[in-house]
Amino acid sequence: MSQTRSLIDKQGKRTDGRTVEQLREVKMTVGVVKNADGSVFIEFGKNKIIVAVYGPREVHPKHMAQPDRCVLRCRYHMSPFSTDTRKNPAPSRREVEISKVMREALEPALMLEDYPRAAIDVYVEVLQADGGSRCAGISAASVALADAGINMRDLVAACAAGKVDDKIVLDINDTEDKEGGADMPVAYMPHLDEVTLLQLDGILTRDQFNQCFDTAVEGCKMVYEIQKQALMQKYFGNETEVKEEVQ
Amino acid sequence: MQELKRKYVIPGDKIVDGNFRPLMNVIRIGDSIISTRIGIAEAGRDGIKVIPLSGVYIPRINDIVIGKIVDRSSLSWDVDINSCFSAHLPAQDVFGRDFSPARDDMNRELATGDLITARIIAFDRTRDPMISVQDRDLGKIPRGESLKISATRVPRLIGKRGSMIQTIEQATQTRVIIGQNGVVVVTGRSQGGIELAVKAIKMVEEEAHTSNLTQRIKVLLNVPDTTPAQPQLSQSTSSPVPAAMSAKASKDISEVSPTKSALQSAPNDIQQPVRKEQQSQDQEEQEQQLSSRHHLGQERATLSSSDSSPSSSSPPSADAISLPSSHSKSRSQDERGRKSDDQRSVAGVTGGDTRKAKTYVKGVHEGLQEHDKKEANS
Repeated sequence: MSQTRSLIDKQGKRTDGRTVEQLREVKMTVGVVKNADGSVFIEFGKNKIIVAVYGPREVHPKHMAQPDRCVLRCRYHMSPFSTDTRKNPAPSRREVEISKVMREALEPALMLEDYPRAAIDVYVEVLQADGGSRCAGISAASVALADAGINMRDLVAACAAGKVDDKIVLDINDTEDKEGGADMPVAYMPHLDEVTLLQLDGILTRDQFNQCFDTAVEGCKMVYEIQKQALMQKYFGNETEVKEEVQ
Repeated sequence: MQELKRKYVIPGDKIVDGNFRPLMNVIRIGDSIISTRIGIAEAGRDGIKVIPLSGVYIPRINDIVIGKIVDRSSLSWDVDINSCFSAHLPAQDVFGRDFSPARDDMNRELATGDLITARIIAFDRTRDPMISVQDRDLGKIPRGESLKISATRVPRLIGKRGSMIQTIEQATQTRVIIGQNGVVVVTGRSQGGIELAVKAIKMVEEEAHTSNLTQRIKVLLNVPDTTPAQPQLSQSTSSPVPAAMSAKASKDISEVSPTKSALQSAPNDIQQPVRKEQQSQDQEEQEQQLSSRHHLGQERATLSSSDSSPSSSSPPSADAISLPSSHSKSRSQDERGRKSDDQRSVAGVTGGDTRKAKTYVKGVHEGLQEHDKKEANS
């Protein structure tokens, strides 16, 4: 993964005009799929992803059911039109892997033991991809699960950090992902202060690793604030506190 | 704890630090109580709980649900109760203990697609819920329009002291049966009334978390915006529960009536299981205060005699639907008295059920309290 051109200009701006510690614009809308129990539409920069959560519901096929806990099934899928060249809609190796890591990133936050013999299905449909779609997908899926009313220990916020021009940058985009030095997606539960996903593609020194990880966690905290705001907006509108009734 | 009354929370939010008891939808992590759902956190004398604002229906023992027969085996029916678990209704529950698969035709009683009102009698982590129709007002629902709402909206649809559902029923001249699982069946004589009621119910579901909803429903239904007739609280019960609710419906927990009567009952005889359920729960609380189950029937009879709620749970004959006349009121009182007498004899037998019902009381009460507070805000 050798870098061929400079991705940060002299003013310290990246290819999309951001500074090294700046997140892309994130927008979340909760409850966009009427038929789902919980759903979110997220715009993470140029990423556009719909997440729909169904369940807890009956497990089919029945033999997949676990007697003591709920089964979490995750499907990450990129639409054929989500990239500049058509993507084959059949699940690719990459999609199967991302489905797995997303499931494993969400599982620690869910209280699956509360719903034995049931299943929760999470569908992540990428409409437009621009790098960092797994992080956007995890963040949105976490909010959609909360929207579905599933017991959770914490929300999961995800954000990537990486190395571009030997500098650690937050939230790398598609170009930086392809041409940069390293990409480290992190999923993190802010209240519990626990990491549920940590991947690294590229080479970092020990110091760079630590710095990159800290940067990613900071990004997760920023994403968490947006998640929280989106949920609050859906359920409580602009009110932030319960008005106490007059006795 | 005094400073914390109610608070909006999302999963992971810390509600409070300290040695409090986690009650519902909360967990203890370290020294903190953490919410596990989106909802409104409440700190009470008992502990901390969160009233959830979303989620599917998870069965609980003694819930009254409306289910749809989806299949049958030789010994039981499978019933869809709008949950992740499908319920079983044993054939013996309908036919009696001498049920014989060879002799009795199960299709004659309940066919696939029928809607039934039932009580959950057994459910735990290891097995699917078992339901029963052995109670008055339980059994087949002969007609009506069914719709599903979120189970978390059920208390809001019922409203404070049943105000919301009474408003809808009276304005649209319909009867509304509400299952704790979020299935609602609307019956009535005119199609227009049913459609209007369905529209109102959907509006309640969509706007459940907003304040001043009752007023908007009244506007939708063209109900003059006058102060609704307040149920007389003349009863000298010390219970915090409204008298109108406690007074009605002394029946559901243990009164046994043959299913056939439910099956044969005219649509007019359809009553309101959930409201009665709540009311009976209120009585449960009062019973707790009295701490004497032997006097259950008498106590209920006493309560019944002082009922003066506008929408009584008496069989809604045409006049009863339009406006509660004194005639219908007195008749319903008589009936309740009679039911109470019946119940007195049965209550001792099924004491276990009454005890279990107390666990259920919380859910509805929480919802009602939440609603009360919202109303007060508005």
